[in-house]
Amino acid sequence: MNRGYMGKILNVDLGAGTIGEEVISNEIYETYLSGMGLSAALLYKRIPAGADPLGPDNILGFVSGLLTGTGSFFTGRWMVVGKSPITGGWGDANCGGNFSPAIKRCGYDGIFFTGISEKPVYLSLKNGSAELCDARYLWGKDAVETEEILIDEAGGDAKVACIGPAGENLSYIAGISNDKGRLAARSGLGAVMGSKRLKAVVLSGATRIRAADSDEMKKLSKQCNKWVQFQPPFVSGPATAKVGALLRVMPTQMAQDGMLFKIILKKWGTACMNQMSIEMGDSPIKNWMGSNKNFGSKKSFATNPDAIIAREHIKYHCYSCPLGCGGVCSLEGEYSETHKPEYETVLALGGLCMNEDVESLFALNEALNRAGMDSISAGSTVAFAIECFERGILTKEETDGLELTWGNTEAIKILIQKMITREGVGDLFADGSKFAAKKIGNGSAQFAMHAGGQDLPMHDGRNDPGFALHYSVEPTPGRHTIGAQLYYEMFQLWKRVQALPKPAIFYHKNRKYEADEEKAIWAAACSKYVNVMNGAGLCLFGAFLGSKRLPLFDWLNAATGWDKTPEEYMEIGERIQTLRQAFNVKHGVKPTTFVVSDRALGREPLTEGANGHRSVDIEPMMRDYWRLFGWDENSGKPTEDVIR
Amino acid sequence: MSYTISDLCNGCGACMRLCPVDAITGEKKEKHHIVEELCIECGACGRICPEGAVINSEGQVCSTIKRSQWNKPRFDEKLCSSCNICIDACPVNCIGLSEARSAKDPHGYPYLREEKACIGCGFCADECPIDAVVMA
Repeated sequence: MNRGYMGKILNVDLGAGTIGEEVISNEIYETYLSGMGLSAALLYKRIPAGADPLGPDNILGFVSGLLTGTGSFFTGRWMVVGKSPITGGWGDANCGGNFSPAIKRCGYDGIFFTGISEKPVYLSLKNGSAELCDARYLWGKDAVETEEILIDEAGGDAKVACIGPAGENLSYIAGISNDKGRLAARSGLGAVMGSKRLKAVVLSGATRIRAADSDEMKKLSKQCNKWVQFQPPFVSGPATAKVGALLRVMPTQMAQDGMLFKIILKKWGTACMNQMSIEMGDSPIKNWMGSNKNFGSKKSFATNPDAIIAREHIKYHCYSCPLGCGGVCSLEGEYSETHKPEYETVLALGGLCMNEDVESLFALNEALNRAGMDSISAGSTVAFAIECFERGILTKEETDGLELTWGNTEAIKILIQKMITREGVGDLFADGSKFAAKKIGNGSAQFAMHAGGQDLPMHDGRNDPGFALHYSVEPTPGRHTIGAQLYYEMFQLWKRVQALPKPAIFYHKNRKYEADEEKAIWAAACSKYVNVMNGAGLCLFGAFLGSKRLPLFDWLNAATGWDKTPEEYMEIGERIQTLRQAFNVKHGVKPTTFVVSDRALGREPLTEGANGHRSVDIEPMMRDYWRLFGWDENSGKPTEDVIR
Repeated sequence: MSYTISDLCNGCGACMRLCPVDAITGEKKEKHHIVEELCIECGACGRICPEGAVINSEGQVCSTIKRSQWNKPRFDEKLCSSCNICIDACPVNCIGLSEARSAKDPHGYPYLREEKACIGCGFCADECPIDAVVMA
């Protein structure tokens, strides 16, 4: 019977050089789904406690999603999983591009690597064959060049995931690239891949992926697509700044319907946020010390959405996405094109560092993609370095003569280049702000903006405390792609999961900051739902359409032949969350140490700007959240009986 | 499920040269064989076989069809959402993505980049969730 998943994984021992298939039972998929759920179940058992994240006992997995290739939309996401060198606990990274269906077309739901190869290798999968090939000639090449060479050698028909120099240099802020610069960037898993001397995974399969009921899959997809294609005619890019300003000044807020986000996302991509987020207080500025007062709409005008897409010559769609928020932009200089810089990249290298030079944002975007380095962490670490220099904690001698001052574009570019190659002072910063602060000492730790070592994304919990909560409580801290109060509003889960509360349509801004139990209920729901999405291979932006328009639960039933209720799927989401947290505890991680940096909580509060005088009462929210999962509310550890 | 080759096979090798997943083995002028686990049921071998020696997964003998008359995909750009599913579905990688249509419609659309490479399997049409691809 067709069930949407392939029923098999591939295990590769890079030390022994052996490759073997493993059948996974139907029961496992029904208990954990595929993708991240399957991974959590396997890695919890198989990575021994105390394993060195950069050692042979760590397992690095590349997993597709249960729905990938079954006829659903928005289900082209793949994930990398493994023990993170940043946190010492559960690590995962999520990416779009074209790699997800390729995994299943080789006959597997996931490929898992253990051990360390003596020499650089890449894995090549074709129909019916798997081979570890010599990659010494590729070592040192950037991720885009590597991919181009490997596709060419495969006769033009291959999908590639690979590391660049950052992963080879074991940078904790290295990720894994696919389709010329889409990145699985977080949790430092690029370093894990580098530690295994695994340069690339090259896939060329054509196995059919089959759903249990493909007619039903198509029916659901047709309906979903109608919502996606609804696209009214338009306002200008700079007008988004005015919308942000309106949200900033109005005491009355409105619960967001994700269709609004869909519309601006389809028009501009995440660049739609570039001005709006600063104006409304969503974007951290000047290493979280600044605000729209330091980087107002005049300064952000150069990155307004229309300016970004003026350079876009074609839209980019990840596999199975009908929306197409990506783009390919022209570049001048060394490289001719780059993936359209995302909001995170623009802010992390822009407003966060007070850098006003738009050209540098495009150039650094391509440099970081080719390096295989996370642009969020790169920007956050540079901002930290600048603050240290401005405060005199670092001298010019210690920075290789670089004047690391706010907005000094040239110094920023040079520092990032050095971080990629680990040259000179770059070595100090190549693992992110927390580890740099440890080495620098002198009270610099308070300026490192991270959660559990993961450099923070460009969403301010002082504007939406849900971000601060998820940064602090998730088994993977410091992530903006799991939950926020805004996300709970857009998921509209109450429309399918009856027990979940429906927020008021209009509410006073102050309500966002009240640490009542309902905030924890919203957050717990987001965590569970995203785990289901990550078991299915579904894109967060698809889920923002709302649970009635984006039929995740119905697609899952139609693909598998199951008959589960939304509540049962949320239970699976809860199970996956407990497993990821249990992984952390098994590996000696203390959940309470993931609390986000004080400054990001508004301790001390800013005195001006969109988030002036705002702070986040995080401790009760964290306790409520952990209690809702049945974990110890003070330590965040799952109790013995919760771990089935 | 898999296609199979009967004793009518004359060992001409046409199927082996065409198979997109290298699932067919055989010596010249000897009966050829399809590796069951590799077959993706594209039907190309059945269409090309001059002897009617190929049997499909339902046990029916495949009819020979002149290659120039094989169905090809037609892409309806009005319906298409540029999601890349059809491009990814093609086992011979013969569907490409065009340049952006226009300033108003900056998306690429699927097209037969290598018409001669198309094996008429219809997977592109099959996998399109919104019936924007039709085999004709």
